[in-house]
Amino acid sequence: MSLLRPWSKRRVREEDFDEEISSHLQMAARDKVDRSDSKEEAQYSARREFGNAGLIKEVTREIWGWTSFERLGQDLRYAARLLGKSPGFTAIAVLSIALGIGANTAIFSLIDAVLLKALPVRNSNELVAIGDTTRVGSVSEGSGRTDLFSYPFYERFRERNRVFSDVYASGRSEYLEILPAGGRPSSEVQGGKLRGRFVTGNYFSVLGVPALIGRTFDEQEVHVEGGAPVVVISYACWNRRFARNPAVVGQRISVNGSIFTIIGVMPPEFFGDIVGVPMDVWFPITMQAQANPGHNYLKDTRVSWLMLMGRLKPGVSQARAAAAVRDLAPQIFTELYSSSMGGEDLRRLRQETIQVSSGAKGFSRLRHELSLPLIALMGIVLLVLLICCANVANLQLARATSRSREMSLRLAVGAGQARLVRQLLTESLALSFLGGGAGLLFAQWGSHLLLGFISRSDQTPVDVHLDAAVLLFTAAVSIIAGLLFGLAPALQTTCSDLVSSLKDSKSGQSHGFAQSFGKALIVSQIVFSLTLLVGAGLFIRTLRNLENMDVGYTREGLLLAEVDFKTAGYKDNQVNQLARQVIERLQNLPGVRSATVSENGLFSGTDSETDAEVEGYAYRSKEDKLNGYDRVGPNYFETVGTPVILGRGIGPQDTETAPKVAVINEKMARFYFRQVNPLGRHIFEGDGKDRTAVSIVGVVRDAKQRDLREPVPRRFYKAYLQHRDEIETMNFEIRTRIESSALSNSVRGAIKNVDPKLPITSLKPAAVLIDETLDQEKLVAKLSSFFGLLALVLAAIGLYGVMSYLTVRRTAEIGIRMALGAERSGILGMVMADTLRLLMLGLVVGILAACSLGKLFSKALFGLSAFDPLTIVSAALVIVVAGVTAAFLPAWRASRIEPTLALRHE
Amino acid sequence: MPANRYQNRIELLQGTLDMLILQTLQWGPQHGYGIGNVIRAHSGDLLHVETGSLYPALHRLEKQGWLKSEWRLTDTNQRAKYYRLTPAGKRQLASERSRWSQMVEAITGVLNPASEVGWS
Repeated sequence: MSLLRPWSKRRVREEDFDEEISSHLQMAARDKVDRSDSKEEAQYSARREFGNAGLIKEVTREIWGWTSFERLGQDLRYAARLLGKSPGFTAIAVLSIALGIGANTAIFSLIDAVLLKALPVRNSNELVAIGDTTRVGSVSEGSGRTDLFSYPFYERFRERNRVFSDVYASGRSEYLEILPAGGRPSSEVQGGKLRGRFVTGNYFSVLGVPALIGRTFDEQEVHVEGGAPVVVISYACWNRRFARNPAVVGQRISVNGSIFTIIGVMPPEFFGDIVGVPMDVWFPITMQAQANPGHNYLKDTRVSWLMLMGRLKPGVSQARAAAAVRDLAPQIFTELYSSSMGGEDLRRLRQETIQVSSGAKGFSRLRHELSLPLIALMGIVLLVLLICCANVANLQLARATSRSREMSLRLAVGAGQARLVRQLLTESLALSFLGGGAGLLFAQWGSHLLLGFISRSDQTPVDVHLDAAVLLFTAAVSIIAGLLFGLAPALQTTCSDLVSSLKDSKSGQSHGFAQSFGKALIVSQIVFSLTLLVGAGLFIRTLRNLENMDVGYTREGLLLAEVDFKTAGYKDNQVNQLARQVIERLQNLPGVRSATVSENGLFSGTDSETDAEVEGYAYRSKEDKLNGYDRVGPNYFETVGTPVILGRGIGPQDTETAPKVAVINEKMARFYFRQVNPLGRHIFEGDGKDRTAVSIVGVVRDAKQRDLREPVPRRFYKAYLQHRDEIETMNFEIRTRIESSALSNSVRGAIKNVDPKLPITSLKPAAVLIDETLDQEKLVAKLSSFFGLLALVLAAIGLYGVMSYLTVRRTAEIGIRMALGAERSGILGMVMADTLRLLMLGLVVGILAACSLGKLFSKALFGLSAFDPLTIVSAALVIVVAGVTAAFLPAWRASRIEPTLALRHE
Repeated sequence: MPANRYQNRIELLQGTLDMLILQTLQWGPQHGYGIGNVIRAHSGDLLHVETGSLYPALHRLEKQGWLKSEWRLTDTNQRAKYYRLTPAGKRQLASERSRWSQMVEAITGVLNPASEVGWS
């Protein structure tokens, strides 16, 4: 309303003045009628005597003066008219700015979410984190630590501290299988994996976050170990798993086989206290043994797994709290560990400094990992924005040249220079805000794309949306960008010598700097985009090489299921029996060709190594004994698809009672045996009476089990039934006749049929598991392609701007050339030759830059060198095509110049 | 024709129009048309105030706070915008009049150097 008032006030004034004029005319006419003129004549002559009413109104209006708001309105309308008149320029400028600002906003919104935003809790600045804030998912067994803490430590610390009004602790949960209570275990789990965390009963009260519906934990209620099977769930979990049914409070769920009751749902903005790992379920820490069978850390002083967070008492500073923590902790260490730790170790532990830092932004590993890359990205996108600004400045210079006569004319008839600069800046800012608005849309998409790059899971690790900080940032960047690309052309246009530019400014030398600046800008942009494109090409080819690599088995049609026997409560011998049952069930499934088991699986993240002596080999160093190994079930090699080169694989005959056998890989055979036949030789493990011998019965091809880049280590395979090491998880390999992921439901059902309590911690096709190890390569390839293309588009826009500018300035010259008989095609060729010269210069410098930069990341490449002719040639070709396309329009325009018009224009 | 009409008219000196308008309004509120007529009549038909100067001047004086305006009916029942002097306008008139008489004295002095002795 207040914005509109000046306008309505102004209109009242206009109408008032109109009436004043008409009253004047009527009185004048009446006087003339009195002096015996005819009525029509009187009116006519009154009007004639009055003079030019429009002009008078105009002059009088100037007397009223303009408010700055009215002037802005005028400028904006004028700017809109002008921008509307040249839609091509406007579109290209807005696109360029939108890309620049969008990229900045996208990165900034990530920085905001990961690095800047405080936890959505009460007075977050009072929170203080104790310990290493990055170790959010760790458990450490052994002596006491200063980065993570045990539950007994927490209890003592909480009770005795004097600086915090209260302290809570939280710790990681093992894999969770959460089902509706009484639901069929084999039923397909909806809504993806859930993440849970164990928290002390005061967690929500210390953070100061109430439940959205239901309630949070009651400290008395959850105080007793194993006494309160209740959980609080997140809004996201409520949404995904319970379709936001308000009756969820009181519902019972099964967690790894134990029944829990949901007592509350948290508000949507509350994701827990770990930035980057939004939680779905919070358990009372006293329920650990029920939710994670096989794990109970509550009484154990040797298990450090808790992060501590305190809320400062009023008037206590963080520094004072830190001093108090460092005073209290060593006392507790002595009480807890003086019996279990040596004096020297305990002394060292007591002297270690405990990290005490602000807890306002919560805990985060992601923040630790991403802060440097994000800041680096921010730097890159700021550079991109600068290029965008330079591009638009160039486009505006091209336009300013054709507008310089208009400007000189306006200056000559008395328009103030300040007013003209303001008008031009208004135009630039209007462009900039249009670009900023479009950039916001682009950023929305971009930040989610980036998040998608970063995180593999279907859930976004951080909440990115337009908030006040992001909008403020975009507005600020828009204004700065607008001033950046608007000020130089505005000043140049209006400060130019009035007389000479009225006569003609096109052939003047005053723009020499602008020209060479424009050309330098283009060359550097070509260098920049070529470097990025070459990088993108190298990374894409690296990724292809890794993806298409021969892993030593057939990854298609192979399904892997990881089962956690320990959490289900099984031990030693039982595991072997159970595994045998599972294999039988799996083999009987329709669509399954064969099934087997192994300890490490393929690309499961675990691998085993041991010292092993091979019969008849003279050892030169300790490393010579180090070999990888795996324990595999019958028909492992046939199922996985690794060819047996010599002898046989592990078969059903290799039972507990049969002679112990092993199969070695090619690498191991070549290392220890060279020309000798390894079959029948022995491998010895362990010392003294634990020393065991297995005889080699076969040699298989090298297979990649853990890492695609690293060479396959020497590895031997033992029969899993012949050994009784403690095993927590087993991996089942299932060779399928059909597309393997289609079988995952029936595989899940078969395993659950053996025991519904068995947690399946992973069920994925081998191809997917292998693919997941390439996440970083994909991220780098995507990011470099993304920025490479962005740089390419910007370089094309820049080239278009500069070539337009140059050809407009050469209109007269081209006119003369044509008048003297130059062909249109010759003119086209002339402009294109100029373009190609710029391109070639950029390419030569760019190739040199790309090659020298390539050496820096040659370690990240695979299967090709940093100087890869194919990549360099294709990147250069892409740039030439883009550049020639961009320059064609100005060149074509130049060739259409009518010589007569061009000369008269002078 | 137009040449004849302008023959016996005197161009107003810069800045004097404001003073004439303020002076005219000293006798009471008047509308723009009336002010023009009064100035012409009082100058013996020598001073014709162009509407193109009159109205901007009126609006300028009002903006300065020397005039106030209101809509009223004329004797012939015609709605018209009447301007009247404000106290500030009266003070302004006094100061402009004294400036004007100084100027007249100065110009007269320049035109009649003989009487210089008599003045001093």
